[in-house]
Amino acid sequence: MREIMKELDALSRGRVKELIQAKKDGAKIIEYNGTYIPEEIIRAAGAQTYLALRGGEPEPTDAVLDYMLRFMNPLARSLAGFMQLGLDPIMPISDLLVTQQTDNHIGRITELLEFKGIKVNKVGIPADWKTDGADAYYERSLREMIAEVEEITGKKVDWDEAKANFEKSNQINEWLRKINDLRKKDNPPIGLDDVIHLHHYSFIVDPDVMLEKLEAIYGKLADAEGIFDANAPRLLFIGRAVAIGDYTVPRIFEQSGGAIVAEYFDEGYRVLQKDVDMEGDLVHNFAKNRYVDTLPLSVMQPGWKERYAYFKQMIEDYRIEGVVWYQLCFDEIYDMECTCLAKWLEESKVPMLKLESSYEYSRESTGPLTTRIESFVESVKEGK
Amino acid sequence: MSKCVELNKKLLELAEFHGEELDAFLPRWMEATEIIGLSDENVEFAINEFIPTNWDIKFKGLRMMIGAFLREIVDLVVGAREKKKEGKPVVYGIIPCVPLSYYTMKSARPDMYVGFPDFLLVNTINSFFHNAAPYINYAEEIGFTYGCRHCPLNKMRVSAFAKKILVAPNVIWSWGMNCDEGPKTDEFIQCLVGEEWTAVVSRIAHDTKIDETDYEDEERIKYLSGVFKDGIRQIHELTGIEINETALKDAQAKNLKYSFKYGQLVSLVCKADPVPIGGNALTQFAMPMVTAFNNGYTYMEPAIDVLLQEIRAEIKAGNGVTPKGAPKLGSYFVPFCIPWVDRLFRENGVATTFSETMTPSKSQMSPHKYATDIYSSFAEEWLRFPMGQNMGCEVESMVEKVNANQPDGMLMGFFDFDRWLGAHQKMCADLVEKKTGVPHFYMESDFWDDRDYSEEALRTRIESISQLLYMKKEMK
Repeated sequence: MREIMKELDALSRGRVKELIQAKKDGAKIIEYNGTYIPEEIIRAAGAQTYLALRGGEPEPTDAVLDYMLRFMNPLARSLAGFMQLGLDPIMPISDLLVTQQTDNHIGRITELLEFKGIKVNKVGIPADWKTDGADAYYERSLREMIAEVEEITGKKVDWDEAKANFEKSNQINEWLRKINDLRKKDNPPIGLDDVIHLHHYSFIVDPDVMLEKLEAIYGKLADAEGIFDANAPRLLFIGRAVAIGDYTVPRIFEQSGGAIVAEYFDEGYRVLQKDVDMEGDLVHNFAKNRYVDTLPLSVMQPGWKERYAYFKQMIEDYRIEGVVWYQLCFDEIYDMECTCLAKWLEESKVPMLKLESSYEYSRESTGPLTTRIESFVESVKEGK
Repeated sequence: MSKCVELNKKLLELAEFHGEELDAFLPRWMEATEIIGLSDENVEFAINEFIPTNWDIKFKGLRMMIGAFLREIVDLVVGAREKKKEGKPVVYGIIPCVPLSYYTMKSARPDMYVGFPDFLLVNTINSFFHNAAPYINYAEEIGFTYGCRHCPLNKMRVSAFAKKILVAPNVIWSWGMNCDEGPKTDEFIQCLVGEEWTAVVSRIAHDTKIDETDYEDEERIKYLSGVFKDGIRQIHELTGIEINETALKDAQAKNLKYSFKYGQLVSLVCKADPVPIGGNALTQFAMPMVTAFNNGYTYMEPAIDVLLQEIRAEIKAGNGVTPKGAPKLGSYFVPFCIPWVDRLFRENGVATTFSETMTPSKSQMSPHKYATDIYSSFAEEWLRFPMGQNMGCEVESMVEKVNANQPDGMLMGFFDFDRWLGAHQKMCADLVEKKTGVPHFYMESDFWDDRDYSEEALRTRIESISQLLYMKKEMK
């Protein structure tokens, strides 16, 4: 298992070099920032894709402050900050950055990137998802984005190829669901740190290779021993996102004896609830999958009661004993949802820990963070 | 709580209530102070210190404006309750919005209540009583956390519902055109406080590029008009309010008339030397064009008429709030809710003048392309409004207003709680400064809430901006 993870890590890191070379060879590169963007279709239009979702480091978040409000979440700030510091080798060579316009954070950061001369396409995702025509708006926005990609690549989307890409995506999802099922065991063979890495690799590594590796990993995990202490509390981890590079908190949990056996993220995590339908219009199917068939994002309205019902089901399915709310600092909508969720969880007598990250993981910061996590893990253990 | 009738009478007299009108209004005002929790000390402080120190109350028009706000507060906390009991519709809104849509409802159904509770409460209580802090603190205590830098307006809404200052409406029409947090606050209140009412949410994604003109995008207008149509349909189903073209025309006519007068006022003040009145007052007068007043323009229009006359006389007499030749400072949005900012600038010899966001642009004043189509008209109005546009489009209107009003400097900031209207201001400052040559200054601060920014904390920055403006003026 560790060997396979190392291989995936190397492949993931190597993707940057591959893209730089591909660009030199005349390839078109489209960067995108989330799962509301159908990278399967973009690839089928002849472009190379790359997910821009790095985070976990404080310097890029500070780098944008000359032109940006301080109170924006660090994930959004990182999107521009890595580029600003010259730490994002892909964005400057990209032919287009496609951003999913889900909220103000990403909205204004995208404008900062435009201000800096980056060519962008904004896919509009109305937050009032129950309003008549909102789903059609998103679908139309996707079609406009695809048209712009086709213009850049000079190639129409090969819909057979797009279908094949979606089929592989669905297969990747299926393996990840099967791996998640293994986490329902009394002592799961895998924790969040590895699972989130698998999700991130799956966005970057060649899908055929990823499928092969996931199958191998599942084969090794299916009958493997659990990796946690027998008494480790079973935890559900919820948040906007664990960005690529933001692995400190899940690791501290595992080192502190907590078993994160399930998670839910709005971004940076594959959409596993339902696969994209293969029959008919793929753009429509994709839009429906993301906008209608999937749990609404926190910012969407109405949404929190529906999300809570889903989390409650997860608590039951995974026999959860404690919930960890992982919030990015100044992320106002998640902060509000957290208050509501805490109230409902209290009524259900499920303990919850709220953690907030500014991507500051210095020795001075991780000390108190570790203490809080250890105390929470201990208190859930005692409450068992 | 406020019990001293004489004290409150004095406040109302300051706000130009007299005779029978005063006698009739006083008991309702007293009831409102009870519901809100304004004490005698709060009222006394307002009359004797805060209002005279921070507002140009020598102008009758300004005092009438204060009176118009007090009337709105009474309608909000007393009147809306009565309407609810009588079975008449109570509709709330949040800012920013196109008030035309709410005024059209009011025109169609004059006996309804319409108002913007959080704006009215924060604005009135802080601008004139400097006492919004306890309400904002309370929202933080019950879960609208301090550390996340939420909007004080939304905190006030949470607090006002939790403290039963507000009656639950039939419907709150939440425009989340700019704001993610505003509409979600309704969901938050319902989850936390348990009040059940319908929130009709109307939004559009921020997805135009910075080189696109939002109000020329036919698809965008079409989509947004559909959103509004859907919103009005839901409101109709919930309240029976039915809007029509006659109501729209009536609202449009009143709107246009007031906007024209407001434009005159801004132009007079910005071109005068010395400047006869501060930017605080100027911006407060813009409020009925940004939110819907339950009384419409009934009390604000006579106030602006009187003020226009007074300002003309003041200009003729050569009187001003700063000496002749003093630098003039425009703002993204003059922080009138923290009126001492304006005063500190004056103390340093600088006059605050217009607000970019509140001064109508040429495109806003020109005839609507869809003047008779109700929903497209609302959509077009919103997309012409600077707050409804992408940064590039908004910058174009900023440049137009800076060139028209010719300030010596521009003040940006005061929106640190706002991830849309506050986030782009440093970029705007850079772009507008390059295009106009007018220096822009940025202050990280809060438009509605000064708990974290005392006078002393901002004084040094204001002094240094003022000195720079004088230096720059001398160099010309």
